[in-house]
Amino acid sequence: MARYIIGRIVQALTVLWGAYTITYAILYLLPGDPLSIMLTASGVEMDTLSADQIAKARHYYGLDQGTMEQYFHLLGRLLTGDFGTSLSSGRPVAAMLAERLPQTLMLAGTAVALSIVFGFAFAWLGAWLRWKPLRAVLRRLPAIGISIPVYWTGLLFIQIFAFSLGWFPSAGNTGWQSLVLPAVTLAIPSAAIYAQILLRGFDDVWAEPFIATARAKGLRRGQIQLRHVLRNASLPILTLVGLQVGHTVSGAVLVETVFTRVGVGRLVQEAVLRQDIPVVLAVVTISAAAFVAVNLVVDLLYPLLDPRIAGLATAG
Amino acid sequence: MKQSPASSPSVSRRGLLAASAALLAASPSGRLAFAADAPVSGGTLRVAFTADNTTLVSIDPFQVYWLEHRVVLRNVAESLTDQNPDTGEIIPWLAKSWDISEDGLDYTFVLRDDVTFSNGTRLDAEAVRIALDSNKAFVKTVPATFGRTYLAGYDHADVINPHTIRIVLSEPNAGFLQATSTTNLAILAPESYRRTEKERSLGALIGSGPFALQSYTPEVGIKLVRRNDYAWPSAAARNRGRAYLDAVEVRYVTEESVRNGLFLQGEIDILWPRNPFAEVDLELFRSRGATIFSRSLPGPTLNLYPNVSEGRILNDPKVRAALQKAIDRETFAKGVFSADFPAVQGPYDVTTPYFRSQAAKLVYDPDGAKRLLDEAGWKMGPGGWRTKDGKRLTLIRPLQGAETPGDVLIQDQLRQVGIELKLQILVAGEFQTFVSSGRYDLHSSYMTRADPVVLQTILDPRYTNNSALSVNAYPPATLKQVEALFDKGLQTHSPRGRAEAYGALQDLLIDDNVAFPIYERLWQAAASPRVKGFQWTSEGFALFNDIWLAKS
Repeated sequence: MARYIIGRIVQALTVLWGAYTITYAILYLLPGDPLSIMLTASGVEMDTLSADQIAKARHYYGLDQGTMEQYFHLLGRLLTGDFGTSLSSGRPVAAMLAERLPQTLMLAGTAVALSIVFGFAFAWLGAWLRWKPLRAVLRRLPAIGISIPVYWTGLLFIQIFAFSLGWFPSAGNTGWQSLVLPAVTLAIPSAAIYAQILLRGFDDVWAEPFIATARAKGLRRGQIQLRHVLRNASLPILTLVGLQVGHTVSGAVLVETVFTRVGVGRLVQEAVLRQDIPVVLAVVTISAAAFVAVNLVVDLLYPLLDPRIAGLATAG
Repeated sequence: MKQSPASSPSVSRRGLLAASAALLAASPSGRLAFAADAPVSGGTLRVAFTADNTTLVSIDPFQVYWLEHRVVLRNVAESLTDQNPDTGEIIPWLAKSWDISEDGLDYTFVLRDDVTFSNGTRLDAEAVRIALDSNKAFVKTVPATFGRTYLAGYDHADVINPHTIRIVLSEPNAGFLQATSTTNLAILAPESYRRTEKERSLGALIGSGPFALQSYTPEVGIKLVRRNDYAWPSAAARNRGRAYLDAVEVRYVTEESVRNGLFLQGEIDILWPRNPFAEVDLELFRSRGATIFSRSLPGPTLNLYPNVSEGRILNDPKVRAALQKAIDRETFAKGVFSADFPAVQGPYDVTTPYFRSQAAKLVYDPDGAKRLLDEAGWKMGPGGWRTKDGKRLTLIRPLQGAETPGDVLIQDQLRQVGIELKLQILVAGEFQTFVSSGRYDLHSSYMTRADPVVLQTILDPRYTNNSALSVNAYPPATLKQVEALFDKGLQTHSPRGRAEAYGALQDLLIDDNVAFPIYERLWQAAASPRVKGFQWTSEGFALFNDIWLAKS
C-alpha cells in the first residue's frame, strides 16, 4: 500500500511539472513579443522606440532574460513558494491569487457539491418513477443540460431570478446570495453528466440477478434502490467528480464573466491575452495541483470503497 | 499674450445660483422648503463602466489613457487649467491666470493660494514643479509612457514665488497649454511622487479634487469620498463649493445585458459603457425616464488609414478616391448605432477645437466609386468582385479579438462596388507584427484629447506612437504637406493661425484620401431620473461635484 501511495504521489508531481513546462512552452511559442504587448498597452507602439529605449523598457518589465534562463529562474522561485510579480500590474502574483482564489474556490466548491446533489437527485427520480412518458422526458433532460452553454444558462438565470423575481443579485462577490446563481449555473453541466451515468448505472444494476433476490425477500422498490442499486451504481461517479474539477476551472472563466465576479477564471483569461507569463503559470500550476490532488484522493479512496480494487493494488 | 480668467456674466450668475442653492441644501434643519430644482446634499452616486484596463493596471494620471479612469481621475486630481467644453477655450482652475512668452517657450502660471491636497498640504509652485519633474523623470525610465506626448518639450520649471511658476519648454509646443488642462498632467501632492510608480498605479494618489480616492480594486471598482473643505472648482463647474454627493462608487460590469439590467433595476445611477447604446436600449431607458447624455469624444474620429506603400492596391489615388465614395456614413450611423446618431463629418470629431467639416466631400456615391475603379483598371469580374491582371481587388484590415457589426457593414458596403474587404482576426501578439511589417491595407487607431495636436501621436511619423500606420499612410508629396501643417499648428499660438493650419490639414487628409472617416466617436451615458446636474467636460468626462441626487 505504501508503494502504491508513493507511486501515485511521484506521478502527481510529474504531472505538475509537465503542466508547468508545457504552459511555459506554449506561452513562449505564442506569436508576439510580451514586451510589444506591454508597450502597446501603455499607449506606444514598439516600432517608435529606439534600441536603447527598448532595452530600457525590456529591463523595466523584467523581460531581459533568455527563455531558458527565465524558465529556470521562475521554476526555482516557484519551488520556494514565490510566484513572482505580474508583468502588467507589477503586483506579486501571490497577493493577486490570495484575493481571488478564495472566491473561485468557494464558487467551484459549491458548484461541485451542488452538481453531486443534483445529479443524484435527478437520477434517483428518473429510476424510481414508473410512469413511462415522464421517465422518457427525464431521461432526455441530462443531454440538454450538457449541451446548453454555461454562458447562456447564466444570462437566462440572471433575467429570471435576478431581474424578474429579484431573489438573488445579478452581479458581484458579496454574501452567499451572490454565490447561488453562479454556482447553480456552473453545476448544471456536471450534474447532467452525473445524472446520465447514474441513470445508466441504475438500469444496469436493476437488471442484475441479486435484485430479484432482494425483491423475493420482500423489500420495497425504494428500499432496493437505496440499499442495493445506489451503492453499486455510484462508484463511477467518484472518478467523474475528480475529472469534473478540471471543468469547473474552465467553467469559472465564463461564469465569472457573466456574473461580474472577481476570481481566478477571469484573471487567467486576461493574463493569457496579455501574455502575463508569471500569472498564467501560477494559475495553471495551482489548478493542476488541485486537479492532481483531487484525483489522488479519489485514487486512494477507491480501495476503501471497493475491496476488489484494494486486492488489485496489493497484488500489483 | 496675457490671458485673464474668463468671467462672462452667465458663468458668474450660474455660480451664484449654485452657491446659494448649496447654502440652502446645507442648512442644518434640512426642512427649509426648496425649489424643485435646488440641489440637495447627500447620497452615493453609483456608476457602472464596461471594464477596467487589465493590460495596463494603473490609475496614475500620467500613465492613464483609459477613458473611464480619466473620468474618475478628473474628480480626484486637478490641473492647472481647464477647458471650456463648448468653445475649447482654456480657462482657469488651479492657476488663476497665465502668460505665454512671445517665442512660445515660457509659460508663467499664477496659482490660487487657497488650494490644499487631501492630505492637508498646500498646493504651491513647488508642488507643481515636483509634479512636472517627476513626470519627466518617469518618461526617462519608461519611455513608452502615454503622458510623454502631453509633456512634449518640457525642459524645467522655475519657482518664482510660492504662487508663481514659470514652465520652460525646450521647443515650441502650442498644444502645451491644453495639455495643462488634462488629467494626464494633473498635479498630485509631492507625497504621491515619493511613492513608487506601482503604488501610485494602484491608488496611492493624493490630489486636490472635490473627492479623495478611497480605494481602487482592479477589475472591481473605485470608491471616492467627498472632501468637506473643497472650494476651488474649475471655472467650468456650476457648483462652486464642496460636492453634493457623499461618495461615488464605480464598478465594472462587463456583460452588457447584466449592466443594462442593473440600471433598469435602479442599482446603478449612471450607466456609462464604452460603446454607444443600441436603438432598442435607448428606447427602453427613455421609457423609464432615464436621460441620455451624448458627447463626441474630441480627437480623431474612427478613421481607417490606408497603407499606400509601393505595390499596395491603395497606392493608386483613384482607388483611394473610390473607397472614400463607397462608404455610406449615414447608413452606418443609423444602422450600427441609433436613429439620431450623427454621421461622421471629417477626420476629427466635431468637439475637437479647430474642427472643419468635410461632409460635402464624404457623400455616398457608389456610381462615382465604380466609375473611378473602372478608370483605374479594376474591371468587374465573376462573382461581383473587381479584378486587374487576374488579381482580385482585396483589401486587408487586421482586427484584434472579433469583428463588430460595424466592420461587417463596411465590408458589405464595399462589396456593393466590387471591393473585397478581408477582416483578418489576429491575437494581440500577432497583430503588432502584422501591422509593423505593413501587411495591411486599412488600419485604425484613435486617441481622445481636446486639441488637434493629438493627431500627431497617430499620423505624424516624427511624433507618433504608432509608427507603421503613419509611415505607410502618405504618398511622399502628401507627407511633406502634412508635416508642414503639423509644424505650423505646433508653432503658432494664435487661435487664427492654428485654425488655418489644422483646417488645411483636415482638407488635405480628405482631398488626398489618406483618412477614411467611418464614424463619430460618440460617448453616451444614461442617467436615472434622480441624477441631476450632469455635464460633460471638454474631453468627455464629468464633474461629479456638480451632480446631485434628487430625493425620490
